[in-house]
Order: sequence, then C-alpha cells, then structure tokens
Amino acid sequence: MAKTRLIRAALAAAAATAVLAACTPGSEDAGSDDSDSSDGAESVSTEVPDEDATLRLAFVDGPEMVDELIAAFEEEYPQVTIEPQFTEFTDYVASIRLNMTSDSAPDIAQFNVGAMSDLIPSGHLLNLDPYSEAYGWQESFPSVGLEQLTADETGKVYGSGSLRAVPAGMSLTGVFYNKELADEAGIEIPPATLDEFEQALEAASEAGHTPLSIGALDSGGAHMWAALLNSMMPVEDYRAWVTGEAGGSISTDEALAATEKFTEWADQGNFNDSANGTDQEASTAQFVDGRSVFLMNGNWAAAQVADEMGDNAGFFLLPGLEQDAPAVGSGFSVSYAISSQTEHPEAAAAFLDFLASPEAAEIEAHGGFLPPNVDAAPEAEGVLGDLNSEFARVVEADGLNVFPDFSAPATYDALSSGIQSLIAGRMEPQAFLDELQGIRDEHHEE
Amino acid sequence: MSALTRLKDEAPVPSARTPQRAGGRGGLRRYKGYLWVLPALVFYVTFAILPAFHTAYLSLFDWDGVTLATWVGLENYGEVFSNPDYRNAVGHALLLVAFFSWIPILIGLLMVGLLSRHRRRGMTFYRVLFFLPQIVPLVAVGITWRWMYGDDGVVNQLLRGVGLDGFTRAWLGDFDFALPAVGLVGTWAMSGLCMMLFLSGVQKVDTSLYEAVRLDGAGAVREFVTVTLPALRGEIAVAMTVTTVAALASFDIVYVTTSGGPGSQTTVPGLLVYRLAFSEGKVGLAAAIAVVLSCLILTIVFAINRLTRTDP
Repeated sequence: MAKTRLIRAALAAAAATAVLAACTPGSEDAGSDDSDSSDGAESVSTEVPDEDATLRLAFVDGPEMVDELIAAFEEEYPQVTIEPQFTEFTDYVASIRLNMTSDSAPDIAQFNVGAMSDLIPSGHLLNLDPYSEAYGWQESFPSVGLEQLTADETGKVYGSGSLRAVPAGMSLTGVFYNKELADEAGIEIPPATLDEFEQALEAASEAGHTPLSIGALDSGGAHMWAALLNSMMPVEDYRAWVTGEAGGSISTDEALAATEKFTEWADQGNFNDSANGTDQEASTAQFVDGRSVFLMNGNWAAAQVADEMGDNAGFFLLPGLEQDAPAVGSGFSVSYAISSQTEHPEAAAAFLDFLASPEAAEIEAHGGFLPPNVDAAPEAEGVLGDLNSEFARVVEADGLNVFPDFSAPATYDALSSGIQSLIAGRMEPQAFLDELQGIRDEHHEE
Repeated sequence: MSALTRLKDEAPVPSARTPQRAGGRGGLRRYKGYLWVLPALVFYVTFAILPAFHTAYLSLFDWDGVTLATWVGLENYGEVFSNPDYRNAVGHALLLVAFFSWIPILIGLLMVGLLSRHRRRGMTFYRVLFFLPQIVPLVAVGITWRWMYGDDGVVNQLLRGVGLDGFTRAWLGDFDFALPAVGLVGTWAMSGLCMMLFLSGVQKVDTSLYEAVRLDGAGAVREFVTVTLPALRGEIAVAMTVTTVAALASFDIVYVTTSGGPGSQTTVPGLLVYRLAFSEGKVGLAAAIAVVLSCLILTIVFAINRLTRTDP
C-alpha cells in the first residue's frame, strides 16, 4: 500500500514536471501588435479621437496630485476617463513588472528605473520618440528631466537611445538648516564651499548641537553619500558609472575621497549618534524638534519642515569643492510611461503632454514636487522657495544626477547596508566602492 | 505534527473493517473515500504542490522575471552554496530559532508550571490575553517594535528610567544587538502561542494525577516533571515545529524592522528570496534559495518529530 502510494506520487510529480518543462519561463517579445514601434520612424497623431476612452494609470507617488492632474486633464478632454490605481512603494516595485506583462496591463504606469528597465527589451513599454517629435517635448520639458528617462534597447544604458517616459514632477536632495541654531553657533549660510560646510559642522558641534541628522536605517545615508559624490566627483564620471556607459567606474580617486570624507564625518560625530537606527522620517522629526542644526533629506520632507518650522528653516545644495563649482544635486522625476498594449495610445500620449503645461506645473508644486518646467514654478517663500531656486540653479547648470541605486537593480541593498557598515566603521571605503562596481559590472555583463 | 501522525496511526483503517467483497464494486468502494477528499486535494495540488514544483523548476533558469529565461542547470545552486552572504543569512535564521522557538517554549512551560497546579478561575481570560500577540499581524508587530526600539522609544525610556543611560542605543541600528533585538520581537510574538498550546494541553490532564503525586509528598518541581511535562510532549512537539518553521522562514518581522540591516547583520533567507526575485530580477537564484531553505526546514522538522515521538 505504502509502496504503491509512493510510486503514484512519484508519477504525479514526474507528470507535473513534464508539463512545466514544456515551457520556458518568460516571453520573447510582448509588443506583437506594434512590433515596428521600436524603430521610432512611424508618424503618430496628436489628435485624441472623439470616441470615449478609459485609461488606467498605475502609480505610487502623490495620490492627491494625481487626482488633481487627472481632473484637470479630463476637463480638457471630456471623452477620456482616467482611472488611478494607487499602490504603496515597496508593493509597487515588487508587482509592477508582473502587472505590465499581464494581459490587463495598465495603460499608463509611473516609471521606476530599477523595477521597469527589463520591460524595455521585452517590448512592454511604448517607445515615446514619435510622440516626443509630434508634440515637441524636447522644447516643452527641460532636458535634464528627459535625459534621465532616455534608455537604449537593452534598458541598461540610460542617457541615450529612445524616450521611455516623461516627468511629472522632480525631486531633489540637499541640506535643510535650522536658522536659529545656525545663528547661535555663528554659522554663515549658505556655505560657499565644502570646506566652509565642514567648518559649519564643527561650529555646530562646538555649540553643543548634533551637527547633521541623517536617516541611515533606510536610504538617508545613501543620500548623504551621493551628495558628497556630487560635490567631489566630476559629473561626467559619475554619470558614466550610474547610467551604464561602457567603462564607467565608481572605483576612482575622487569617489574614494568622497567616501572617505563620509566615514570621516561619521567618525567625528558629525551625524546623529544613532544614524543607523534612524529612518528618514525620524531624522526629519529630530531636525524639526531642533535637535540638529542640519538635515540631509529631499524635497519630500520640505512640506513637513515648512509646516512645523516656518521661517526658521532653509535649504541649500551641498556646495562643491570650489566656490564657482557648478550646482550639482541628486534627483529624479515622478514620471509616467505608456504600456505597449494600450488601446488608446493617443489619449495616453495626450495625458503625458498635459504634464508639460503650466496648469500641471502648479498642481505638481502644490503636491510637494518640483515642476520640471522651472519657469512654471509658482512663487514660494521660505524653505520651499529655497528649494525652487536651488533646483533652478541645478537645471541651469545641467547638474541633476540620478540616484546611485540606478546603476544596477542589486545596487540598492548593497548600498544601504554598505553605508551602514561605513558609519559603524565596519567596512573600508575602497571595499565598499569595489562591491558597488562589481554589482554594476555583473549587471552589464549579462 | 506528531499529534497528527499519532491520530492517523490510532485511527481504525476503514478498509480493514469493511468485509472485502469479490468483484469490481469492492475495489470501487475502496476508492470512494478519495472522492470526498478530491476538492481539497485539487485545491492543495493546484495551489501548494504545483507551485512548489514550479519553483524547483524555475531554480534551474537564469530569469529576470520578464524576458526569456536561459537554462543554467544547477548553476544557481552552486551560487547559493558558495556565496558567504547566503550562508550568513542561514546562520542568522538558525540563531533566530533560539529566540522564536526555545525561549518561547521555556516561557510557556514556566507559565504552565505556575498555572497548572490548581484549577483557577479566569483561565479563559489568560488564554485570550496570551494569545493576543498571535492575532496581531506580524507587520503591525514589526512596526510597533521599530518604534519601541527607536532612539526615544519605550525600550530606551525604560533603561533611562532605571538609570541605565549608558546602555541606551538605537537597537535596530546596532551591529551587535540588531539580530537579538529582532529575535526578541519573535519571542514576544511566539510565547503566547506556546503558552496557549500548553495551557490547553494541561487541561486534559486528570487532576487526580496531581493529587496522587502530591500525596506522595512531591513539591511543585517534582509535580511538573512527573506529570505536566510528559503530558505535554505532543504539544511541545507541535510548538517546536511551528515556531522553528516561523524562525527559519521568517520574513515579515525582519523586513519591517531592519530590512536586513545594519550592514547585513540581520539578513535571513526569506528576505534574500524576496529581494532577489522582486527587486534584483534574479528569479532563478531566488527560487534556488527557496528550494534549499525548504529542504533545510523539512530536515529539521523531520528531526524534531523523530526526537519527540512518544511511541517507539
């Protein structure tokens, strides 16, 4: 009895494996309907057909902003209805690939480099070059915004190739400061060079304050490190590494100096004591409570800082080595891509085009993001005004760098754990850089 | 688990009692029972067995989850066994077993020892109270503990309250203490389950047994060792199995509290599977880790069952 049962089970198992073995996982090419869209030569229309169309929009950032954008768009195109589908960030990153490759893919999806680059070679994302030409997006969107969203056919090299998405709102990281505490410590704001900023940290320390809050439990430590790279590493070198250009390297002398500076600051106690156990939200809370003079964070924290500190807070980019160094900052856009399976590409493209309008810019600014179109940014005061003017400087200098984790899908985890190890003095700067370089090389080898 | 096996062994086998009749009908009847099991069986095979085989099959490919996969044979397994990061993760999971399994079982036994000597009123209330951590989703548990372990969290406030200022730290960000801190969250969550199991187990025990031991002049400890502990053998086996599996396959608590940090001090295999499959686009490698982890868990569970079996 036991024996026959075993045999039966074995047979069932064999049969199951045989069924499964019949197909290799994955698909060769999904965009069968429009397989010629990738050459970008076909002409497209900027006319939205009159018949009713319903688009589904999968997104992760700024639910209120998206609702407002949709409402404003639908007013202009009454025949189009857009259904927003909100997903929380980690779930979105984990599910969007399956979602976009399914038969019921959303028409428009918020673009995420790490999670969605594989969808470019598989043909699930619409090549936007024809629409860019038809609508003249090169003029209506700033080039820093579009460049980040341009990728080659492999989806591994960014900054060249075809347009994959357009920006709805930009982000930027930098240093927030507490005016009262800075005055007390005799710190002059903004510092003109990195040296001056270091002196400011020292002065803050001498005045008995925690100089700089970072939230290294999640990605706050990586933002600090990236800011130091922006200040100390030539922009071309960083971009060659992060966008996947052949021969790009993070294992350079300048990057090593920046990483050593980072560990030095950790050693000297320039960061909050428990940086590794503090997330970005908690680091912002510490800063808002007046428990540190500076805070490393991004525009997403600006609304909270402005609300709670009012005129007492400001924002500046981490300065470069020289006084006249170009303004460089880390940031990326909330951006949207179109599924190659959509039945209404014209309507979807019209929505993307709408994002360049002044009306959309106002909604984006209201939603806590920086409108890609700098001139369309509404007037703001205090820390929000600082953020706008610093962003304008970055755009002017073409100095917007994407976040370092864009270099390869596996970079993010190695980066956040490596940064924590650097802070705790458990990893050598060179070993940290070598690890990141190894991950990037492995990604491009495949 | 062993309770189940025991039940199966003791249950009368229906076919043995049914007089065997010659001809096809008797054979049919023998299979009639399976018909009743069929719906559950189909469900189980479709949603548990087949995906398991599919995972094992996927582990033989290099696949990003989207584009066409390439066959790599056992290469992924080579990577699993040669990469020190993955071995460390298994080590972390094994350490968590102490926190998720051994400590909760000891706490459970201690509580039962204290509560089982006499019938007490309000036993149901205690049971509900101890079981509460079990009905709170582990994600909520993780978030709550993340706050409690924070710089200004309850844990540090308590330490400051008793004058241990020098000992305060951001627990989850400390290279030496993060893993035990995560483990203690598991202890908190699992202790209730163990107590609950043991308390209900001890209620089966005939009170006259306790009386008999007491008449023989036994104290509390003796009573516990001679009556309570042997009676709970089955429950201990169940508790050990469930909690050990929870420790080895842990994901949610770690993911919510530390995401494997600081450094890689708290990475566990479950977290690696998630990262590799969903954020790093290495589905084959993730599947290989999952298969190895499943085999490890099966082996350990098998060993636990062998060790705690009541009848030879």
